[in-house]
Amino acid sequence: MEKTFWNIYKTFFKVGTLLLGGGYVILPLLQSELNEKRGWATDDELCEFYALGQSVPGIIAANMSIFVGYKLLGQKGAFAAATGIVTPAFLAIVLIAEILEELIKFHFINSIFWGVGIGVVILVLLAVKEMWNKSVVDKFSFAIFLGAFILSGILKVSPALIIIASAIAGIIYKLKTDKAEGGKEC
Amino acid sequence: MLIYFQLFLEFFRIGLFSFGGGYATLPFLYHISDVHHWYTPKQLSDMLAISSITPGPVGVNVATFAGFTTSGLLGALIATTSVILPSYFLVIIISKLLEKFKKNKKVQAAIYGLKPAGCGLLTAVALNIFKDNVHSILAFVIFLVLLGMTFKQKRDPLFYLGISAIVGIIAGVFHLI
Repeated sequence: MEKTFWNIYKTFFKVGTLLLGGGYVILPLLQSELNEKRGWATDDELCEFYALGQSVPGIIAANMSIFVGYKLLGQKGAFAAATGIVTPAFLAIVLIAEILEELIKFHFINSIFWGVGIGVVILVLLAVKEMWNKSVVDKFSFAIFLGAFILSGILKVSPALIIIASAIAGIIYKLKTDKAEGGKEC
Repeated sequence: MLIYFQLFLEFFRIGLFSFGGGYATLPFLYHISDVHHWYTPKQLSDMLAISSITPGPVGVNVATFAGFTTSGLLGALIATTSVILPSYFLVIIISKLLEKFKKNKKVQAAIYGLKPAGCGLLTAVALNIFKDNVHSILAFVIFLVLLGMTFKQKRDPLFYLGISAIVGIIAGVFHLI
């Protein structure tokens, strides 16, 4: 299949439709659609974009799609991928939100929401665990974890402030320890 | 008019500062409900439940939903666009400077600092969602069983959503809710 704007849009629209329960499944989906079915990108490239997508703020599935789209067709490809991955989510939610009042009148639907509400707690905890494994690697990062938890959960400080402060703390700490280590070598 | 501008600012901020995927947008969405009262925390946890079983990245779903709840279709469009916009520009810039970005020490140090913060923020959210969704002894027991399953082996998130939906239906049929 040719790498045109429309084909890229359609491909990401399809992936967006198949994405359920968190963006983590985007990697295997893109591997199957882009590598196996279309030969547009290799598994290695996709893995690298997946890792990069996590070091950029925002929704990982969207970040990764924009990375891949840009690689396929520059600015045009990035735009096609971003709009393609978002469209199904947007349409689905707008449709459901329109009829939500009607839906929750059904006992059956409410039962599903009741159950899924519990399942969602598990999914968020799994996301916490995944992030913990990748981020809390030493005493300093544990202190940041604890500080962010307390500031946000108890003191209700703005998350944006916490993120900015911890990025600055990371830079200061790393520069200091790098200097200290550098000093030992001399 | 003002509400649309506020929506744009809030969701652009989410897109710019949330690290760690769709669920990492939740601390910001809870903060919005505290500050602006566009929706209640309970509404937000319902939106999250629905978003989890709807096609698309959860972060996009829940942004669209929160925008829609705040000010209808246009609100949904603004929220969705503004949450993606920072990613869009950043990814394109990074794509152009890819090698430099990967090796830059300051960038790596900043990421080292803000990742555990993202994790701490999400842990606080997990507690909130737990309080909103697990009210009865039955719900708590189901929660514990599902939690136990996560320790046994790694499963697809869809597995837990499927099981919890089925358990919900059964509980509903027997009028246990």
